[in-house]
Amino acid sequence: MEQELNLLKENLAMELKNCHKEADVLNVKSKYVGKKSRISEIMATLKDMSSDDKRKYGSLINNTKKELETMVNDYLDNLASGSVATFDDTIMYDVTSGSLHPVTIIAKEVTDALKKMGFTIVSGPEMDSEFYNFEALNIPKDHPARDMQDTYYLDNGKLLRTHTSGVQVRAMEKYGAPLRICVPGRVFRNEDLDASHENTFFQLEGMVIDKNISIENLVGVMQELLREVFKSDVKVRLRPGFFPFTEPSYELDCSCLICGGKGCPTCKNSGWIELIPGGMVHPNVLRAGGIDPEIYNGFAFGLGLTRLAMMKYKINDIRVLNSGDIRYLENFKID
Amino acid sequence: MLISCNKLKTHIKDSKSIDWLKVWDTFTIRTAEVESVKEVGNTFDGVVVAEIKECVEHPDSDHMHVLQVDAGEKELVQVVCGAPNVRVGLKTAFIKVGGHIDNIEITARPLRGVVSNGMCCSGKELGISDDHSGILELPNDWENGRDIKKYLPIEDIIVEIDNKSLTNRPDLWGHYGIAREIAAITDHELIPLPIEEVKNDQKDLAITIKNPDLCYRYCGLKIENIQNNHTPLDMQIFLYYVGMRSISLLVDLTNYLMLELGQPMHAFDARVVKSIEVDTAKDGDTYTTLDGVERTLNKDTLMIKNGAKYFGIAGVMGGLDSEILPDTTSVFLESATFNAGSIRKTAVALGLRTEASARYEKSLDPNMTDVALKRLLYLLKIENPNLVIASNLTDVYPTKLEAGHITLHKDVLATYMGRTLADDIVKNLLEKLGFTVEIKKDVYEVTVPTYRHTKDVAIEQDLIEEIARLYGFENFEAKPLKLELTIKEHENVWSQEYEIKHLLATKYDMHEVHSYIWYETSMLKELDLEKDGIKLLGKQENNILRDDLSLSLMNFVSRNLKNYHAFKIFEIGTIFKNDDNKRVLSIIWADDEKNTERVYNEAKSVTQYLFKILKNADVSFMINKDVATYYEKALSKNILVNDNAIGKLDVLAQKYTNKLGKKNVIVTVQIDFDKYVALAKKDLLAQEVSKYPVVALDYTIILKDNKYQDLVDILDSFKSKLILKQQLVGTYENKYTIRYTLGSDTRTLEQKELQTFKERFIAHIKDNGLDIIE
Repeated sequence: MEQELNLLKENLAMELKNCHKEADVLNVKSKYVGKKSRISEIMATLKDMSSDDKRKYGSLINNTKKELETMVNDYLDNLASGSVATFDDTIMYDVTSGSLHPVTIIAKEVTDALKKMGFTIVSGPEMDSEFYNFEALNIPKDHPARDMQDTYYLDNGKLLRTHTSGVQVRAMEKYGAPLRICVPGRVFRNEDLDASHENTFFQLEGMVIDKNISIENLVGVMQELLREVFKSDVKVRLRPGFFPFTEPSYELDCSCLICGGKGCPTCKNSGWIELIPGGMVHPNVLRAGGIDPEIYNGFAFGLGLTRLAMMKYKINDIRVLNSGDIRYLENFKID
Repeated sequence: MLISCNKLKTHIKDSKSIDWLKVWDTFTIRTAEVESVKEVGNTFDGVVVAEIKECVEHPDSDHMHVLQVDAGEKELVQVVCGAPNVRVGLKTAFIKVGGHIDNIEITARPLRGVVSNGMCCSGKELGISDDHSGILELPNDWENGRDIKKYLPIEDIIVEIDNKSLTNRPDLWGHYGIAREIAAITDHELIPLPIEEVKNDQKDLAITIKNPDLCYRYCGLKIENIQNNHTPLDMQIFLYYVGMRSISLLVDLTNYLMLELGQPMHAFDARVVKSIEVDTAKDGDTYTTLDGVERTLNKDTLMIKNGAKYFGIAGVMGGLDSEILPDTTSVFLESATFNAGSIRKTAVALGLRTEASARYEKSLDPNMTDVALKRLLYLLKIENPNLVIASNLTDVYPTKLEAGHITLHKDVLATYMGRTLADDIVKNLLEKLGFTVEIKKDVYEVTVPTYRHTKDVAIEQDLIEEIARLYGFENFEAKPLKLELTIKEHENVWSQEYEIKHLLATKYDMHEVHSYIWYETSMLKELDLEKDGIKLLGKQENNILRDDLSLSLMNFVSRNLKNYHAFKIFEIGTIFKNDDNKRVLSIIWADDEKNTERVYNEAKSVTQYLFKILKNADVSFMINKDVATYYEKALSKNILVNDNAIGKLDVLAQKYTNKLGKKNVIVTVQIDFDKYVALAKKDLLAQEVSKYPVVALDYTIILKDNKYQDLVDILDSFKSKLILKQQLVGTYENKYTIRYTLGSDTRTLEQKELQTFKERFIAHIKDNGLDIIE
């Protein structure tokens, strides 16, 4: 008897599993708990049983009937509320997605970090004049700095900007002091292409003009910026540099992320990567921007966005960045 | 620039207490970037002085000899040697059996049947010169058997400093200047250079400067009776280690002075010198320099003339006729200072950059010229004690460069440093570098030595740099900027760019690309297109700046069609129109030709969506008449917002599409991004919603030869107050399904009204000659 009752439950469970429509369930219901069902038959035999058997099986039979009813009703409820899959719920489609250029992603991170420190983002022209690219930045005509940057000069007397620093003076003219800006943008150098050299790449210029700005502020902003971008404390060092538009000038190196500072081809075995040149804005540059260096001072820095993207995403050939090849670019999904 | 630590040690007192391998890390963060530090001369051991006592020809060789050498041991040692300069009495460098060279142990072994117990060495074999013409010839008074390293500065540390990081430091283009810097950063004392004074009790040399603005100073000295023109071995090794070839004592000494003080010098054979004149050349004249190349001069080329004839290109290179010859015993020494810009221009114009011109370009200190002469005299006299000074140290110095004076304000210094430094710290830091400091109440009066005053140190910020770097950047604390409570955003171009890029990438699965600002010549060739525009100077290829962003992206389309048959790319980039920068957003769809209609209309809906979502503006498309030759004329549309053109929709003409890939369609939208940025986002306003239910009615209309626009015109001419909305909800072949949403603000529509609407509408469609499926 017990065996038969258990078998009934098992059979019902099996048959319900195959029911995907309400009608199917109702059929199964009448088969198992309807008037002509086996359980009804068993219940009908109850009145002919001995009083011992009645005691022994009465509640078991009654409980089984209740259980069977509950099973069917629960299944019906589930079916109605949709919690029983009535279709192939195991299909996984491939998710397609577009991509942003790695430099755009890194520029967003850097500018977001700077925005938190009160910087606003401004822009400047890619084709610019010698005045803004050189003269206004305290780089006179015969200055060796014009040698160091191999410039693309144009037949209309202008040039393709060699750095985003040209926006320094434009921004000072436009917005005056105090000023706290950053300028992500494309720059151009007359270079032959190879795995680590491009003639077209991205920089980010940063500049702060205010009263009483110190080298310590510059160090503070650099540290905060790198912490935000690398999400960890990166080892940095400052060393003297030379740029006509800053005085004092410095170069900020960070420990090579490729080799961890042990030395590798990327860092030319030095363990350090030159990352952010900058310094205190030269009084002549302030004057060129119409700002009185007796009242204001400040600092400026330039960050190689392309280089940073290469370091962060471990891109070992700079040329893929301007290749337009979707096979490389599609890896840079947007979070 | 290569620097020898052995040389530096001779200029610094107690140099032993400096760790010469580690000090360069400090140098990098205090002064200039060090590229490499290499130990040299440690690749061999067991090399001693040995004297050749016997020398006989090898019985079985026509060039080798069998030598018996005295290597300081009881017995003579038998060695076989193939060098041509072997002779009895010669002292040479000898590796004993058991010694090592380049990690190879020297053993006794037979050479053509004769046992050789060691090896006599050339300078090249020991790595101390590039001379392999014979074995080393050592001085006669050196003791046999003594380690050669006891006599010669063979073990050295050679440091390479990045030239670029020395651009602004003319004083660091010689070892003495580097030594001064090392002494300052390690708190050591610099030893004054030994020099030989000239009495000046003779005649001046004939020297004239015609262009005092190009030649600041010219010193000359004539010396006679120079009998020994052989360079001592230690100097040869030094020159070799720092990348110079040893030629003869006189030439080597001029180079040595350049490497020591940074002062380029020249030694002329005094027999040919008549009178010296510094003057510019005549346009078009030619002159053959020391390297045998004929150079064309111009009116800006500064020349050294001898008796009216060209004698050398000032500061760059001398000529053949003034060379020191083997029989030269008297010289005319030149030590001069020229204008940095002029030398640089000449060197660039001639394509001839020399060690001398590289230094002159940095603005050398004119007060160094006479010191260099006296120093050279001192060194020459060691090798030639009987030399004769045959002239005054003739000094033409029209305008003397005096030491500079800068007032450094204590409050400015404190502002820059972010802290106040004690007076004695400031004084000490600057004076270590050769400045002198007078402390006053609010300021420091600083005297700048001329070797820092040619251009490098001119304003008080320059002094702050000196103080800051010696103080040590690592000793600054990081201090955050104070943040004003109001941040004024000056412009939002970048955030608008990011917003639209993000939308295109995430909503439409597009890929952002970065391209070049010029047309790639190979791409124009592939398309067989000519383009004109602003040109890059001096470039034959990739030299035309683009005026159509989408066209410039066609090489990306071509590249990606090899791997994908359908894709979407976009870029916001600069193009050039009317000599000005213009920002453009370009979106390109590449797909199968059979999908043309879908892709073309998708381009329209994407455009619509961008403006709707980001600007709350409606766009319309109007036929564009002004179409570039490479786009389909019939399909070109102007994109309008508020009746103003803000962009274009184009399809690359079939002829060009076929060149990029068969059976494709390439559709592009270009938005004038400057106008886009300027377009204000229209305010979003809440709309009243009727509280009565609406009714949706779908009608499928069958078009004949018409386009959707024709249907729209017909629908628009059907008027009813009940229409709340009219949408195209689907198309199948020529069947277009239109959904009308009907309703009223004041009541629930009655069945009768709907019936009337329906009848009127069907009649309207049929009146216009179209069929309708209800």
